[in-house]
Amino acid sequence: MIPRRTAHERVIGPGVVPHGVDPEHDALYRGRTARGTVTDEVLRGVRGRPFTIDGKAREKAPATRTQTPYVTGTSALGLKYAGGVLLATDTLACYGSTKRYKSVERVKRVNDKCAIAFTGELSDFAYVCDLLEELTTEDFCEDDGTTRDAEEIYQYLTRVMYNRRSKFDPLWNSFVVAGYDAKGEAFCGTVGMIGTHYADDHVAAGFGNHIARPIFREFYKPDLTEEEAVEIMKSALYACVMRDKQMMNKFQIAKVTKEGVSIGEPFAVPTEWGYEKFYNPTKFSPGGW
Amino acid sequence: MSGIGSGYDLSTTTYSPDGRVFQVEYAGKAVDAGGLTVGVKCVDGVVIACEKLVPSKLHKPGTNRRTRAVARHAGVGGSGYTPDLAAVADRARAECANYKSFYGDAIPGKVLAERMAHYYHLFTLYWSVRPFGCSTLLGCKDFDGYHLYLVEQNGECAKMRGACIGKGKNAAKTEVEKLKLNEITCAEAVKELARIVYATHDVKDKEFECEMSWVCDASDGEFVRVPEDIAEPAREAARVAAQGDAMES
Amino acid sequence: MAVKYADGVVLGADSRTSTGTYVANRASDKITPICENVWMCRSGSAADTQNVAAYVSRLAQEHAVSVSSAGADADEGIKCDVKLVANITQKIAYQNKDRLQAGMIIAGYDRKLGPQVYGIPLGGAMMENPFTVGGSGSAYIYGWCDDTFRENMSKEEAQAWVKRAISLAIARDASSGGVIRLVTIDATGVSRQMIQPIEQPLCDEELPAVKRS
Repeated sequence: MIPRRTAHERVIGPGVVPHGVDPEHDALYRGRTARGTVTDEVLRGVRGRPFTIDGKAREKAPATRTQTPYVTGTSALGLKYAGGVLLATDTLACYGSTKRYKSVERVKRVNDKCAIAFTGELSDFAYVCDLLEELTTEDFCEDDGTTRDAEEIYQYLTRVMYNRRSKFDPLWNSFVVAGYDAKGEAFCGTVGMIGTHYADDHVAAGFGNHIARPIFREFYKPDLTEEEAVEIMKSALYACVMRDKQMMNKFQIAKVTKEGVSIGEPFAVPTEWGYEKFYNPTKFSPGGW
Repeated sequence: MSGIGSGYDLSTTTYSPDGRVFQVEYAGKAVDAGGLTVGVKCVDGVVIACEKLVPSKLHKPGTNRRTRAVARHAGVGGSGYTPDLAAVADRARAECANYKSFYGDAIPGKVLAERMAHYYHLFTLYWSVRPFGCSTLLGCKDFDGYHLYLVEQNGECAKMRGACIGKGKNAAKTEVEKLKLNEITCAEAVKELARIVYATHDVKDKEFECEMSWVCDASDGEFVRVPEDIAEPAREAARVAAQGDAMES
Repeated sequence: MAVKYADGVVLGADSRTSTGTYVANRASDKITPICENVWMCRSGSAADTQNVAAYVSRLAQEHAVSVSSAGADADEGIKCDVKLVANITQKIAYQNKDRLQAGMIIAGYDRKLGPQVYGIPLGGAMMENPFTVGGSGSAYIYGWCDDTFRENMSKEEAQAWVKRAISLAIARDASSGGVIRLVTIDATGVSRQMIQPIEQPLCDEELPAVKRS
């Protein structure tokens, strides 16, 4: 077995020592791979050779930080009701305007008190999920009977987002955060790409801001029942899927209640295309297309 | 120059003429002076129990924990200086988070144990640092099942079926060796470990709490405190048994 | 591209590498071993993906050696968990997203989770899928793949499916061409195939390839 040397090098990560630090170790490694089929037949030359990642050079490299998103999710919606908060997204991740991944869960359960939904870059969302996972693991390890509530998660996200935008290296996401605050009251807020944030009875991130929120404003009232809230949510999703090209008719509604977080199965909303005027679009408008 | 070390016991950087590093051995004494920690690997998990000595009646029960989760699937319990134990547990947490962030998966028990041992060992190499005065038992679940590792103050690391460290470890070890570790379940082990902790407790010592944690099928593979409805009856039975023994003798 | 079948995975790629309009290599190998049981399909910048593959290979193998208790037998080769390799690749792709033009697919077989296919597109996201396509030619075959894909194909069906998909991409994409390379991985090991244009399925409005005498 190749003797293992551990190190905690910033760039290459844990558990490995860079090539060149320990010539003896390198020699063992080289000897071994050269002897075995690993190099000769499977790896064929260059691929098996130990490489070094020069951490210092990477730090010194000029920063080129403006990015564009590649794989993106569109709107995320949030709505309070009497017994909790609803979150809704579709399950699509687009690659440009290619509908690339069609079964992506865009809602994450953070803990029993909080769930978040995202818009924007998928890889950045995965990174934020890792951060939140570390926070909840910390809560778990402390085992002191408290966990972070939705408002704390929301505030944390505003700091993460604002810090990154201040480095001119923003995370290309906005979020809807739903759950309960420290007083045990339902919480629903949104965090933008550059750290902008507000909490309200209903929120939307992404394109849904323009399409879903007017519907929420019209139909929201305090103490909606769950059924009423789901109906409002579905009509908002219907409007979104009709008018947002990056939305698909495959949705998930998650709810956060006192009992915890439950993320629903994907469903489609009914649509209508069979109108007389759709069959004969120019019939009553001479000269139209 | 006189005394056991004859001058060779002042630093970890100097061996004695017969090849010993006294400072590391002294750190072992600190471990032996700390309350007992017992751990066993059972068919369905790992249980770790600590005899947590309570120096004052003013201490709030359940605080100053001696078993700690370091990730969802892993936790440590130990004997010796509790602040050192906290430092080691913190490092173990960092190792778990570090591994997860790079490899995307929970750290395997073997890797975590080796990294902890490595950390211990580093503190036996330089004059400017003091070796840790604690040893740890690591309970962990990974793809290959449940594991118990003993990671000692000198940087040694071994995979165990059962292990005891701290005050009264020899008496406890005799008891652990009597257990049928290939057959016993965690629920049964909780009772046995409670019995061992109470039986080996030195009555001259102050008050103590028997603290128990496990990682097992019943806890969904998470390292958590043994639920009170299981732990408390076990403690109560152990308490009664220990009192009975005391009366007889 | 890569696809899962009943008890393994098939990776496939064309063999064209171009610099601008010029075909720099007409028989390149874009399916690269990371370790014995995990391979990578590379698209985007060849320089970037070759180097990422080298880093990943080294990190994954070093990890595999450090966690194995017995020490890997050199004759058997080093085996890694597919998910772990995919994760390392994703981390490198994500952390260096402003430096890399690298779309990668990680596929392989391990005893924990069986056959797996992970797509790691440009920004450093990662998705596990029953099949995934990437690179310039992929845009032309999404529809065909969605339409004809079936879960739990046999090995031969999966190989034929990949072959057909890549021949369709070659038929419409100027950046794809040459031979089709296939790598099949299952519990028993790895096998490679090369399919010359003369053996490839014929596409619309094309003439059959003729061998040079």
